Amino acid sequence: MSNDLFASIKEGDEFAFTKTDFTRTDFARYAGGGGDFNPIHHDQTFAEKAGLPTVFGMGMLTAGILSRVPAEWFGPTSVKSFGIRFKTRLWPGDDVEFKGVVKKVYEEDGTTHADLDLTAITSKGEVLIQGFSTVRPWSA
Amino acid sequence: MAEINPPGMPIERGKIHEFANSIGCDEPLYHDAEAAKAAGLPGVVAPLTYTAATAFFQPADAPNLIKDLGLDMRFILHGGQEFFYERPVFAGEMLTAEQGETIKTVKEGKRGGSMQIFDSFTNYKNQDGELVLRVKNTLIQTGGVVKE
Repeated sequence: MSNDLFASIKEGDEFAFTKTDFTRTDFARYAGGGGDFNPIHHDQTFAEKAGLPTVFGMGMLTAGILSRVPAEWFGPTSVKSFGIRFKTRLWPGDDVEFKGVVKKVYEEDGTTHADLDLTAITSKGEVLIQGFSTVRPWSA
Repeated sequence: MAEINPPGMPIERGKIHEFANSIGCDEPLYHDAEAAKAAGLPGVVAPLTYTAATAFFQPADAPNLIKDLGLDMRFILHGGQEFFYERPVFAGEMLTAEQGETIKTVKEGKRGGSMQIFDSFTNYKNQDGELVLRVKNTLIQTGGVVKE
């Protein structure tokens, strides 16, 4: 599927999308989808008691959306590794850009591989997550 | 809550569909069984972080890292997570998690005293004992409440 893409991939190539205005409903939907019912992510009363202004998004929600960069760019079966480091919290109302950049292209086991740098960064310039991924063609 | 029996993580098409929607992804290989079949795959593909979600469905007797390490839940941060895929995970499989080693390192932090960093490794195998993916999870215990 993505073999043509691997033939033409080069260092510096980019892929990005933006999700604007994260809502508490986005957090609630991920609670259901991902099974994370820590009240700090959906219960305003609980969040205020913990000294926070409001609820904040699950790190794995932001990570899951960031994982779409390698998956949608190269195809979900082409991803060999995906890793993330959490930097700061996602708040309701945040606009976030999810971005990947090709850092290195190389041959391994006779197959083209690409290492990607990944970031989720708010419109205010706060880095939510730094990540990496390695992609290569894969077939069943 | 009730536990699933037999223990394990059934990788289900409906749950994958729901999870993929929760990360806003309309990739056909996550949602469309016919598209997966046409691509020569045994089932729809699980999104990359799907096994982190299914970790919430592990049985109560699965290794509980936080309890085993004696960590204080109030001061735990999720530092990061890394996934290494032998191949994609497909709907129709049954995965079990095997807890591997945990490596502890101590760092002197500026904001919360010293930090203990725990890197733990989990292998996910399918119903045939085939290793499908490895996951490294990083937990950070701070010396106190971390202010941003």
